[in-house]
Amino acid sequence: MKVRINGLEVEAREGEKILDVANRLGIRIPTLCYLKNVYEGASCRICVVELGNGKLIPACAYEVSDGLTVSTDTPKIRESRRTTLELLLSAHRITCQNCPKKGECTLVELCSECGIEGIPVCAECPLHGEDCFIARGEICLGPITASGCKAECIRDGRACEGCRGPVTRRDVIERARRIYIEHDISLETVLERLKTYCASSHEFDLIREYLIVKEVVKE
Amino acid sequence: MMRQEYWTLMDPCCDYCLHSWDNPCAKYVVCRVRGPFCHKSVECREKRQRRVKEVLYGSQGVRINIGASSCGLAAGAEKVIEAVKDGLRSMGVEAEISAVGCLGLCFMEPFIEIRSEDGPSPIYGHVSPENVGDILAKYFEEGSVDGAFAIRRRTGRFKDEERVPLLDELDVWRKQVKWVSRNCGVINPESIEEYIVTGGYEGLSRALTMKPEEVIEEIRLAGLRGRGGAGFPTWLKWKICREQSSEEKYVICNADEGDPGAFMNRLLAESDPHRVLEGLIIAGYAIGASQGVIFVRAEKPLMAARLEKAVEDARRWGLLGENILGSGFSFDVRVMRSAGAFVCGEETAMIAAIEGRRAMPRQRPPYPASKGLWDKPTVVNNVETLAHVATIMAHGWREFAKYGTERSKGTKMFCVTGGVKRTGAFEVPIGTTIRALVYDIAGGPREGRMIKAVQIGGPSGGCLPERLFDLPIDYESLQEAGAIMGSGGLVVIDDTNCMVDVARYFTSFTLAESCGKCIPCRVGTKALYDRLSAIVEGMGSQEDLQLLEEIGMMMKEAALCALGGTAPNPILSSLRYFRDEYEAHILEKKCPAKVCSRLVTYAINQELCVKCGLCAKSCPVGAIVKTADGHFTVDESKCIRCGTCVITCPRGAVEKR
Repeated sequence: MKVRINGLEVEAREGEKILDVANRLGIRIPTLCYLKNVYEGASCRICVVELGNGKLIPACAYEVSDGLTVSTDTPKIRESRRTTLELLLSAHRITCQNCPKKGECTLVELCSECGIEGIPVCAECPLHGEDCFIARGEICLGPITASGCKAECIRDGRACEGCRGPVTRRDVIERARRIYIEHDISLETVLERLKTYCASSHEFDLIREYLIVKEVVKE
Repeated sequence: MMRQEYWTLMDPCCDYCLHSWDNPCAKYVVCRVRGPFCHKSVECREKRQRRVKEVLYGSQGVRINIGASSCGLAAGAEKVIEAVKDGLRSMGVEAEISAVGCLGLCFMEPFIEIRSEDGPSPIYGHVSPENVGDILAKYFEEGSVDGAFAIRRRTGRFKDEERVPLLDELDVWRKQVKWVSRNCGVINPESIEEYIVTGGYEGLSRALTMKPEEVIEEIRLAGLRGRGGAGFPTWLKWKICREQSSEEKYVICNADEGDPGAFMNRLLAESDPHRVLEGLIIAGYAIGASQGVIFVRAEKPLMAARLEKAVEDARRWGLLGENILGSGFSFDVRVMRSAGAFVCGEETAMIAAIEGRRAMPRQRPPYPASKGLWDKPTVVNNVETLAHVATIMAHGWREFAKYGTERSKGTKMFCVTGGVKRTGAFEVPIGTTIRALVYDIAGGPREGRMIKAVQIGGPSGGCLPERLFDLPIDYESLQEAGAIMGSGGLVVIDDTNCMVDVARYFTSFTLAESCGKCIPCRVGTKALYDRLSAIVEGMGSQEDLQLLEEIGMMMKEAALCALGGTAPNPILSSLRYFRDEYEAHILEKKCPAKVCSRLVTYAINQELCVKCGLCAKSCPVGAIVKTADGHFTVDESKCIRCGTCVITCPRGAVEKR
């Protein structure tokens, strides 16, 4: 079958993706989430290309068909990529200076390519993880909550409310206590928040003992 | 087959009837009511006719229908049923009590309908356990319907006829076409017998005598388009799937209705589940599938339970399973309850959920019609589409194509909610104007209010202002105006609602329901919501409007599935038609509808005030104080704008400004 990419006509095989064909032609389509044979879920929408009918579709997941016309660089595409990147960066607070990747980063390259400057980097980088609410000075019950999935942080975009009930292991609570004190969060307010779910339980008394009473003894 | 204590229409009439699982009879369905065909017997014929009458009017000749689908139950139908039983017992009257589905007249729930073979058959609305005793006493002892909210059907004689309005002549009923919802609120949804008596499964019997290609052709001639919202021609979807060379094919019924304000699928499947099932079997036959799945929203348990009962009954009488009605076509259905995420309504996400994976959409193409469930060709149809299929097959495409516009045929159900006099689910021909639907059928605005706009298609749709109400409702015209047909939810917005606040509500819904797979939807909905929240709180700027449009347009183009692609519609359409309201929030820091609490101030009108001091007492923060000269004033710095004083003031002296 024949496919037309940026005006160049090229032979393509059944089941090939637009991205494969473009790469063979030496036309570069930027990608971010795509990793051949590992992840082809078309999540990041950076690799969008324009079809003959003006529709934007991701090149990494769209199979070619006979007579398909594709443009890989139009004002519409650039606009869409830029907005997507800006959205991606909007939820992000790490700067290149303290990023462990130190510049070897597709995202930074994409940003400079799309003309986005002076923006902190690495939204979805697993090295960064999620912003910690405690680090921002907000009360989060994450460190003393028995999360159902065993994760340390539910990463829901909001502070943990402790609805699954508290953990009562002494070492866990002592570690939590250190975290709270380190970030200047008053332990009373933490307990106040915890009351919502387990005010009258045995666990609550235990936690109060570990969190507050010990502090008094120490001082 | 299972033995029962009494003879039902589904059972063999005598030893001549040989229909069974091993030896299915092609005329089984038609034979029930019009038969017997295979042998001549007056006795058998009379036995059946007697049973048909019994099914329609109960064994005593009087039957009391009580609307008991989810909506009726929520309005208190359960207690009404008990009260009806008590009432009948105390009067010594014997009548069949039947829990039926919903008539779609939500404003008069709970309702009861007395159907009698020879006496008057009124429908009563606003029934309560307290007044039902009187209603029954008047009816059975005096034969009158005095003193109750009653409507009559054309059948049956009435003593005081002119005083009881005729259902067919009421605005709410006259402009409707009861095509697919004909049985809703009329038959007992849990009884397959009642469905058969009203002509059920005749469409299937007819379809099985045709070739699958002929069935597809029939649907093409009818001009049926998908009722889930996108309006893709149903026959084309079937044809594409039929032409795929695959040994195994599937057909899925999408009953995962999740839009706020839309409940027509629930209503249909709860009130007439067999019709949906029949449509599903026909679809399976047309595409050559051997398995069907009904994917039901778990939040609608009654709907799931009734569909499960329907599947079980159909299986028991040989309408599902091996060699259906001797046609050689085998088909089985399972009902699956979803985990209840809005995104499951998207077909690829639904398929992922059925396969046991996390419900996330994937990039299309390949479309499910070529690569769907377990990578096999799959057709996904909406509940209403399938109910239409069954009705078309039973009554012929000509009857269906009589209604509608040139490009979209037939009827569509709409749920009208919000600021109207009569809320409910109404079925109208496609091409009816919004004005006819909102003003004639739903009765227009509530007392002293003014309708400002309608939101069509729920969180994926757009709002249309009052001046566009003469627009005919069909797929194309709505799309051009910036809304979508969607599944058919129509929320009427009157002057007590703020358009920015409404847009923010719908965005909060999509924000919560976004699956998080693609960036435009995951981060875009959050960005839109944050901007709208800023505007609502009086901290917005002109740039925010530009940003809303920019992000909205990008999401429309680049989002992976329809959820993200349509999420900005409420914002974009309200920006298009109600930009002045957004600007009032930003420039004047005022909410014209006085909804957004941060932009409203409370003040006491001294001319109306009688100085009773109730407002000061009720204020939770003590913001209303008595001045030295005995007047009450609101302390702006303390006021939390809860509105309690407005509610407590007996004279209406507390004003929002």
